[in-house]
Amino acid sequence: MLQLIFFNITNGLIIGAFYALMAIGLSLILNLSGVINFAHGGFLVIGGYLAYTLTPYLGFWGALLVAPFLTAIIGFVVERLLIRRLYGRDPLYSLLLTFGLAFIIEDGTRQIWGAQGLPVSIPPALASPLSYEFFFITGYRMFMVAMVAVVVGLLFVLLRYTRIGVRIRAGTLDLETVAALGVNVRALRSLNFAVGIFLAGLAGVLASGQLGLEPTMGDGLLMPSFIAIIVGGVGSLTGTLLGGLLIGVASGLTSVFFPSASEAIIYVMMAIVLLVRPRGLFGEEGMMT
Amino acid sequence: MTSEQWKRLAVLLVIWGGLIFAPYWMPLFGGYTALGSRVLVLGLGAMAVNFLLGFTGVLSFGHAAWFGLGAYGCGLALKFVALSTPLGLLAGTLVGGIAGAILGALLVRRRGIYFAMVTIAFGQVFYYIAFQWSSLTGGDDGLRGFARQPLDFKLFRIDLLHNDVYFYYFVLICFAAVVAIMAFVLRSPFGRTMIAIRENQRRARFLGIPIELHIWIAFTLSCFFMAFAGALYALVNNFADPRMLHYSLSGDFVIMAVMGGMRAFWGPLLGAVIFVVLQDYISSVTVNWMSFIGILIVLIVMFFPRGVLGLLRQRSTA
Amino acid sequence: MSVLEVSNLSKRFGSLVAVRDISLTVENGELRAVIGPNGAGKTTFFNLLSGFFAPSAGSIAFDGRDITGVPAHRRVGLGMARTFQITEIFPELTVFENIRIATEVAADYRLRPWLNRAEAADLRRRIEETLALVALSGKTDRLVGELAHGDQRAAEIAMALALKPRLLLLDEPTAGMGDQETYEITQLIRRLHKDGKLTIVLIEHDMRVVFHLADRITVLDQGSFLAEGTPREIAANEAVQSAYLGKAA
Repeated sequence: MLQLIFFNITNGLIIGAFYALMAIGLSLILNLSGVINFAHGGFLVIGGYLAYTLTPYLGFWGALLVAPFLTAIIGFVVERLLIRRLYGRDPLYSLLLTFGLAFIIEDGTRQIWGAQGLPVSIPPALASPLSYEFFFITGYRMFMVAMVAVVVGLLFVLLRYTRIGVRIRAGTLDLETVAALGVNVRALRSLNFAVGIFLAGLAGVLASGQLGLEPTMGDGLLMPSFIAIIVGGVGSLTGTLLGGLLIGVASGLTSVFFPSASEAIIYVMMAIVLLVRPRGLFGEEGMMT
Repeated sequence: MTSEQWKRLAVLLVIWGGLIFAPYWMPLFGGYTALGSRVLVLGLGAMAVNFLLGFTGVLSFGHAAWFGLGAYGCGLALKFVALSTPLGLLAGTLVGGIAGAILGALLVRRRGIYFAMVTIAFGQVFYYIAFQWSSLTGGDDGLRGFARQPLDFKLFRIDLLHNDVYFYYFVLICFAAVVAIMAFVLRSPFGRTMIAIRENQRRARFLGIPIELHIWIAFTLSCFFMAFAGALYALVNNFADPRMLHYSLSGDFVIMAVMGGMRAFWGPLLGAVIFVVLQDYISSVTVNWMSFIGILIVLIVMFFPRGVLGLLRQRSTA
Repeated sequence: MSVLEVSNLSKRFGSLVAVRDISLTVENGELRAVIGPNGAGKTTFFNLLSGFFAPSAGSIAFDGRDITGVPAHRRVGLGMARTFQITEIFPELTVFENIRIATEVAADYRLRPWLNRAEAADLRRRIEETLALVALSGKTDRLVGELAHGDQRAAEIAMALALKPRLLLLDEPTAGMGDQETYEITQLIRRLHKDGKLTIVLIEHDMRVVFHLADRITVLDQGSFLAEGTPREIAANEAVQSAYLGKAA
């Protein structure tokens, strides 16, 4: 029994790391620009498909490196051309815009790569399990978690110690003051958006190795990201990270005792958090009001 | 009467004239009566969302939840409780409305996009439940095995199931009743506080209006309207399915409201007409209607945010 | 019993202390001006009084009743009305509609589904009275957002008056106004004070207005209490002068 629990917690952490990666990208964009990026799942899908297309030329590792950057560039262009014009307006419009974009992206990928699911191959070195005992921890899953840990770690370092990172963090708290201090807020937002999309693209590449590729796969990952943010606390990246891990683990644990409820549990957690501590576990008072 | 009042009367006459005689002029344009019923119900849903969005200034992007709950409530009542159309409508309306009232109390302290975000998430809870609880709801296949029942007035019966035209007029009467209630509320002192909240929340608060309470009341009312529309929709299709709860439907309703004009009472209905007609036409011509709708949404948001009626209003005052 | 009694009020934002240990008392029928150089914490003080946010320490008593924990909208119900530095009105509604909302709330109609004929007529009368008080009767059907700055301010004050307040808080009512508009608003406030016997607390930068209207003046500097007294006393106060040294008076 213990082994089963351990198995599922580990599984949960792996899934949670994944949710966290998506949610952090979403959170970055939400915090600085006040935009709920409905198209985040779409960028995930783009990342996965781009990697798939590049693999024959660059190999697995090359594609892994390049695809997220390409996706980020696409995101940057989208922000520059479309989203930027909506910042001054009611948040309704940027929400609708990303909503429409999600449609376009889904149909577009279907058009370009076909509606059928595509299999994705990963290097044999990663495909084998760690050991007989821990058969469920395949090399690929370890790799995924390691990648997430590295990238998120880098992000936190970036936000903490680089000038741009500090500006992003300050902008999240008080954009007016940051602008008054002479920072180019528009460029900051574009860059921040691109970083968020980079994370989504990366998530897409990683996911494709595990789940294959399908035009609709982004949809199923969008909701857990929202919930990770709500549970972890709006406005706090650490909170979002921990929120993602938490719901992943909860989902894993639940599948031991109530398998059919393992998806539902994340909604239940959201409801509990909203009832008991509406600002989220690590959210700041007044961020949501 | 002033010229302003004449104009308003003329507009009302056109709208209601069009609606009342729809089964007769629609076929001339390639339409059919059942499409009219569908447009009315979706239009009602869009107006319900706009009650909150355009008139209170509160964005809920999960409103399809109440629509879907209304549909399932109606279907389940018809299937398991009694073969009565009015009962089905009542059951659906109550289920969706009461759920909305309870959850609304939880959500009402949030503001702006955070409120929208939480409504999206909550909406998905219901989608998920409908999907999973397949023994009750039929899961992905949807809830079937029920149909709209004839109205029995003891002396005569009206067959709603087989006669599209009778059913259309039934839907129209229901539509008219709810729309009348909406208009009544918006013209009341309470309705004016809703508009105040939309115009300037801070000023409304500092006039002594308890914002959270008033938003909750407006939210609850719009949930009841929405649930009623959903119940009607179950009758239109004799069918309820999880997609009626999905946030993409919520988005569709918002688009209809924006497209027609958020600040106009009849805007969402116009938006629904355009949306449904376009969707019907485009999906018969091409498989890529998703891209089309997506591009349409982007265009509207970037260039026509005030919608058709908003544009007309601007032209007339310029 | 005094209308307003503030005791040791403080407000901290993180490590920034915006308002430090302020105490004052405003008597019935008084017109108190709160002045001080920029950053003195005057608007924060108003925000504390009106319930925009809660204090970090201290208490506020209104008509003898402790309102420190009372939410903003309820303070309005108790008789406290305020205007804002940046005029807060309903821009896309007409002047009439703006005042109507305030009057309906004051008359406790805000949850009503309808008004009978007598109530509607009475409401109309009250709205017209309020409009006459601020000399906006000729502009009832204009959109407030399209009015001149001075008229917008007058409309905002009218909304506050429609609430029949015991205490009127005016945050820089003449900000951004030319001489003519300043004169008119000043006269309006004077009328409200003398004829209407309203208790008023006023934040102002324009010293002509302050000395023309105030019964007493409280001076704040960098969030703390600096001095209080009659206009003559304050004008002669050296500490006040040095606080303002180099700043426009």
